[in-house]
Amino acid sequence: MTFTIVHLLPELLGTYGDRGNVDILSWRLKQREFEHEVIIVAVGDKIPTKADLYLLGGGEDDAQIAAMEILARKDGMKKALESGAHIFAVCAGFQILGMNFPASGGRIVPGLELIAVETISAELRSVGEVISEPTIPIATLTGFENHGGQTRFLEELQPLGRVSHGVGNGTGSGVEGLITDQIVATYMHGPALARNPELADWILERKLGAMSPISTSIFDQLHDERVRAVRH
Amino acid sequence: MKLKVTIWFANVFGALSRLTGRGSGVMVTGRIILKLMPSAVATLSKNRRIILITGTNGKTTTTSLIYNALATTTRTISNFTGANLFAGVATALSQDSKAKTAALEVDEMVLPWAITQTRPELVVLLNLGRDQLDRLSEVRFVAQKWKDALATLPENCQILGDADDPFVVWAAQDWSKVIWFSAGTKGHIDASTCPVCGHVLVWSDGGNSYHCECGFMKPDPDWVLNDGTLRGPDGEMIEVVSRIPGRAAVANAARAIISAVVIGVSPTAAANAVSMVSSVDGRFGELHIGATIFRLLLSKNPASWRETLATSSTSGPETVLLSVNANTQDGKDTSWLWDVDYSPLRGRVVLVTGERRLDVSARLTVNEIPHRIVNDELEASRVIGDKKADLIASYTAFHRLAKSVRR
Repeated sequence: MTFTIVHLLPELLGTYGDRGNVDILSWRLKQREFEHEVIIVAVGDKIPTKADLYLLGGGEDDAQIAAMEILARKDGMKKALESGAHIFAVCAGFQILGMNFPASGGRIVPGLELIAVETISAELRSVGEVISEPTIPIATLTGFENHGGQTRFLEELQPLGRVSHGVGNGTGSGVEGLITDQIVATYMHGPALARNPELADWILERKLGAMSPISTSIFDQLHDERVRAVRH
Repeated sequence: MKLKVTIWFANVFGALSRLTGRGSGVMVTGRIILKLMPSAVATLSKNRRIILITGTNGKTTTTSLIYNALATTTRTISNFTGANLFAGVATALSQDSKAKTAALEVDEMVLPWAITQTRPELVVLLNLGRDQLDRLSEVRFVAQKWKDALATLPENCQILGDADDPFVVWAAQDWSKVIWFSAGTKGHIDASTCPVCGHVLVWSDGGNSYHCECGFMKPDPDWVLNDGTLRGPDGEMIEVVSRIPGRAAVANAARAIISAVVIGVSPTAAANAVSMVSSVDGRFGELHIGATIFRLLLSKNPASWRETLATSSTSGPETVLLSVNANTQDGKDTSWLWDVDYSPLRGRVVLVTGERRLDVSARLTVNEIPHRIVNDELEASRVIGDKKADLIASYTAFHRLAKSVRR
């Protein structure tokens, strides 16, 4: 069986190097000789509904709205989830999955309504290193956040991590990101899966089962260095 | 009189700063001038012909090229060292009271202030792309700042704008006197949506052109650079020769020639002067570390990395050292490393250093570029030995090393 990763609209949602997450997942599968393919869905392309994992990155306001309009067509993402797909979403991608998010000029844009969160404009942009303790059994999470929105949970939901440095989802919540049965969402750039190899494997293993370890240690070294750099 | 005393006083402090090894003195001088006389830049700009140069990439090089072209016919001042914030502009203007022309590099966010203060005759807009997103904010925001500022230009001011860049076009197109230039740059990493209406921007002709359903489109260029030949609005043809390597350098040389021609320099004199410049503020300069001779290249964001990697891989030696930091001036977020395709490095001997060498190493690992991590340039030179190598450095690493290149 070929594991299919779909990178959604990188030209719209790719401002902060988040496309690296796709490259990293693909590389980690390749190291294990796991058969897989990456489908890059550009503006105007049909969105496959039968893939295994969909990735959404960060983007600027207008690009986020343009992406939202494309993703909302024919309930594509909803159908993908219904057929068992998983989603990994970063920043603007995280916001798009929720009930609504803010746009320029004080506008509120409806989201895909796949998770019970809403995003509002924050007075101050959250910019800087973010560290959190994960709610899943993996190492401390490290990333670089840069977002003007604050995301709050509208019902009881599991965050990805509890923030020890930085802002995360904001609104005084002290939490970062979100996990559901099929979705992992975060404000961590860096990109997140370069700095957090255990999160990368956790996302893959949730879908594919336990995988063999990888001998290359550079990602673990990077992870430890970033965590240390912030704590000291 | 008060201004002269202020400048004298500031210069003394600048010299002290330089002599005591605190810095070049440029910032100190400018800060004191502006502190004592906030209107100094406006006063010093009066009765002078001011050219402002800004954009994400190529500011320092283009400013230096314009300076050299203008200096053939008129006494000119400039901020040569890339000191492009308020103090740097003030210092540059204070240095030669007899100079009638000034070519001033300004930071993207300083442009509005510089327009108000200097009342320029020409504004050169190079390009606008993602850069230091944690500090400079997203591209659209900067473009809006430019657009607002350009609406307040003096009536006779001209803009030399890049027709290939949708953000430059959007910022400048409302002005009545725009000279459009095209170097045939294809595509734009940040312009997937229309700057006017936010809908998806349609790129056509292999990335050479763009338009939107709202009517926004690439303007017809007045000057076109093609294969090293610059064609002007009256059919004039100028050969553009650049001793600085790379495609971007040739385009900047063309911009400098056009700017000089607009100010009244003959095309031949301008093209000659531009062709003589081989190194600007340490860029492409030679640096001897241990037994190794490094050629120093600056790279600071995805667009400039792409250009630099192409230039280094076509004109450089086999060995290359990458040095990446993430201080305030570099941008503290290194995510952009993943927006760059490093495959032009494949087949070369690659070493990696800098404060964020682990980030670079992770990126190169996934990009399948074999490489070796070293602690610093000295260790790199021990590994490389008695050979030539390119050293591609991010902003703060570059400027630390460039000090040793300057003579």
